[in-house]
Amino acid sequence: MNAVRETMDVLLEISRLLNTGLDMESLSICVRLCEQGINPEALSSVIKELRRATDTLKASDNSTSQG
Amino acid sequence: MAALDQKSPNVLLQSLCCRITGKSEADVAHQFQYAVRVIGSNYAPTIERDEFLVSEKIKKELLKQRREADAALFSELHRKLQTQGVLKHRWSILYLLLSLCEDPRKPSARVGSYGSLFAQALPRDAHSTPFYYTRPQSLSLSYPERSALAAHNASSMGTSGISSLGMYTLNGPGAGPSPQSLLTGPQAVADPARGPRLAWALPVTGATPMNSRPMTGPAPALGSTSSPAPRLPHRPRRDGETGAEIGEAALVRDILYVFQGIDGKFIKMCTPENCYKIDSKVPICKSLRDTSSRLAELGWLHNKVRKYTDSRSLDRAFGLVGQSFCASLHQELKEYYRLLSVLHSQLQVEDDQGVNVGLESTLTLRRLLVWTYDPKIRLKTLAALVDYCQGRKGGELASAVHAYGKTGDPHMRALVQHILGLVSHPILNFLYRWIYDGELEDTYHEFFVASDPTVKTDRLWHDKYSLRKSMIPSFITMDQARKVLLIGKSINFLHQVCHDRTPPGKILPASKSADSPKDAAELFTDLEGAFQSKIDAAYFETSKYLLDVLNKNYQLLEHLQAMRRYLLLGQGDFIRHLMDLLKPELARAATTLYQHNLTGILETAVRATNAQFDSPDILKRLDVRLLEVSPGDTGWDVFSLDYHVDGPIATVFTRECMSHYLRVFNFLWRAKRMEYILTDIWKSQMCNAKVLKSMPELSGVLHQCHILASEMVHFIHQMQYYITFEVLECSWDELWNKVQQAQDLDHIIAAHEVFLDTIISRCLLDSNSRSLLNQLRAVFDQIIEFQNAQNALYRSALEELKLRVQYEDSKRRRVEEGDWGVTAEQEAAENKRVQEFKDTIPKMCSQLRLLTHFYQGIVQEFLRLLMTSSDESLQFLSFRLDFNEHYKARDPRLRPSLGATRGRRSSNI
Repeated sequence: MNAVRETMDVLLEISRLLNTGLDMESLSICVRLCEQGINPEALSSVIKELRRATDTLKASDNSTSQG
Repeated sequence: MAALDQKSPNVLLQSLCCRITGKSEADVAHQFQYAVRVIGSNYAPTIERDEFLVSEKIKKELLKQRREADAALFSELHRKLQTQGVLKHRWSILYLLLSLCEDPRKPSARVGSYGSLFAQALPRDAHSTPFYYTRPQSLSLSYPERSALAAHNASSMGTSGISSLGMYTLNGPGAGPSPQSLLTGPQAVADPARGPRLAWALPVTGATPMNSRPMTGPAPALGSTSSPAPRLPHRPRRDGETGAEIGEAALVRDILYVFQGIDGKFIKMCTPENCYKIDSKVPICKSLRDTSSRLAELGWLHNKVRKYTDSRSLDRAFGLVGQSFCASLHQELKEYYRLLSVLHSQLQVEDDQGVNVGLESTLTLRRLLVWTYDPKIRLKTLAALVDYCQGRKGGELASAVHAYGKTGDPHMRALVQHILGLVSHPILNFLYRWIYDGELEDTYHEFFVASDPTVKTDRLWHDKYSLRKSMIPSFITMDQARKVLLIGKSINFLHQVCHDRTPPGKILPASKSADSPKDAAELFTDLEGAFQSKIDAAYFETSKYLLDVLNKNYQLLEHLQAMRRYLLLGQGDFIRHLMDLLKPELARAATTLYQHNLTGILETAVRATNAQFDSPDILKRLDVRLLEVSPGDTGWDVFSLDYHVDGPIATVFTRECMSHYLRVFNFLWRAKRMEYILTDIWKSQMCNAKVLKSMPELSGVLHQCHILASEMVHFIHQMQYYITFEVLECSWDELWNKVQQAQDLDHIIAAHEVFLDTIISRCLLDSNSRSLLNQLRAVFDQIIEFQNAQNALYRSALEELKLRVQYEDSKRRRVEEGDWGVTAEQEAAENKRVQEFKDTIPKMCSQLRLLTHFYQGIVQEFLRLLMTSSDESLQFLSFRLDFNEHYKARDPRLRPSLGATRGRRSSNI
């Protein structure tokens, strides 16, 4: 259990270094997905797409709330 | 945080969606479906599954952002990660992190005017069918399960899974005309043909069965609003073979076949022109035609290389070097095939997915052109190499490959270097076997040392092994090749001739290292270094050992000295004594001589002189030899000493050498005999001088005799001096120095040959100085003749003297008896006899004068020849012979000779 925690800490640190913008929880989900053999390329494109969508959504929300 | 338990991927994905969008599960249904679809399509990773590569990429990325400290920190973390064995797919998570990486210095590109489909789709679909309820078992990652499900779901659409997604997007929103009609038709036609190939071409994780093909539908639907839009025109064309023009995709497929040397559908081998060509009737746009013909060159090159290896790899006579050349070509081809298979699988994946999600990896001719640029250069090099190496084998082949390595292009050089390594490996093996064990395992005559099995062991050193000049690889210098030849030859010589059974390991303390092909190339290319020193070490050790064996076990140097002492008359007391003993024997006719008598005399001479202290091995070899007898020869002409050589030392004292020795011995023996004769002449002169004083009428003749004899003595002494000191001793000293410094047996043999050659030419025995030798022989003949004449003179003089003494004695006796001393007739008879004797004196005088005349004429001629000789030592000899210019004064031809010789010499040079 301790090893798992340490691993997660290390990964989080790497993630921070690389400025991925993943928090602990997202990261742990990603790690689990990867451990199940999901193609990381696909996963990363999903995450990017999701972020993009959310951002646009927020932007449009903002503009609608402002307008 | 929960443990890494095996939650279903879908649950995880959903929570991820929630987490990132910050919305509740119900609100992210659409995003979730998108995520499931993308992940489910599971396209093959375009990257290597190599943790190391990914980590290197991350480091590079960090360095690019100028964060060196962070890069170091990352390495640290990565190492920590590696030590904890919790994660199975480290590369995967690292890759994910890398692809999510953003440069903090750049402004976030996340918020932009990016018109993603979600932006429009979300509000509208937020309340549509809540598909997430069906999630639990829908996304399974293993291939068979999924295909079964997919097959199952084809009928029960809308309940779960992948196929339903496609149907959903196509039918659910019902946005615009469905592109399915556009796509499924032609694809369905093409499918059966491609089916079988799918199985092997697909990577494990990228396995997408045909059944899920309907999924391809959504792609254009998605693409129509986002980036893949420009690629749309390709798609319909891909399978539009029935159309007016052939699509690029079809050409790509064709080209991939052509790459392997198989005719494609359109691009075919055109035999008369020997190139791949698209049929000119096929309608196709010009740029595509150009590009594909450029690509097709690769196929042509491949064919060329392939043909060579195919034809050669079964040819056993091609030899080991050739085989390794073929193997290296095969290796390169394998690399090339790997590329082709990657391209193929790429094509398959494309076919199967019909689309690439967010990536630009469609195969196009142009892309192929770029990707195959490097392989093409490699293949070109190989093809050129193959051309150049046609008909070569063995070391010649290695030279050819080596010649190609001399290029400025580092890639090409590396390639050729690699091939050279493989090619030269067998040569190196031959070489090591040869220089360390002396064995020649060269079944196909590829090595540069050749052996002649017909040569017997006695000529082993000289004739058995030779260099095959054409097979010397160009990276081995002639000098090295010679050394290599010598090393192995020495080992074989030790084994076969010296019967020395020392294991090679003892001769050479340096153990042979196991050299891999890579080492071989390095060793050969780094000529100044390791290889040279290896050869040198082996050379020194082996040669030294051989010389040691020859000197210690076979007394080479002692034999050399024995040659000098006996055959070159170095042992003076022995020779003198031998001559004393032999004189009566040799004076007889040659036909009456018997070898055994002479051998007995020889033994007596040995026992009586210092020669007896020589080692018995040497004395045993000493023998008498009678040359061929020609009519009229005396024993002096045919007698010769001989020295028997056999075994290893016969390699130095070859048969030619021995015959040279015999010739020199003959000459020296003759000169020695002249000295001997002159000694006799002088002795008798001294003895008889007093006795004959009572005959004053003889004094003139005797004086003449004395003059001639001293002339001859002077001549012969100078000759002897010249032969002993200027010829023999000088050459011997040179030889001895060289032998002491010799590094290998060849040096000794060469030095010995030089020694013999020098002696032969200085002793006037070579063909250049035949006229000189003839004069010398004539001088010798005159000496013998003079001896005979003087002997006759003395004999008659002593006879006369005896008679006179008898006459005086009888006269005195009668006087004492009281008789008359002489009667009248007695006195008359006495006076008559004396008168007769006196009458012979002028005859003797004239005979001597004639002899002197001839002799001087010969000597003058000899001197003249000496002066015009180009050899300096001979000129000095002439000065010494004529030190007081006695002959010069007589012979006008000798006078201007100095200037003339100078002129001649300078013109000779």
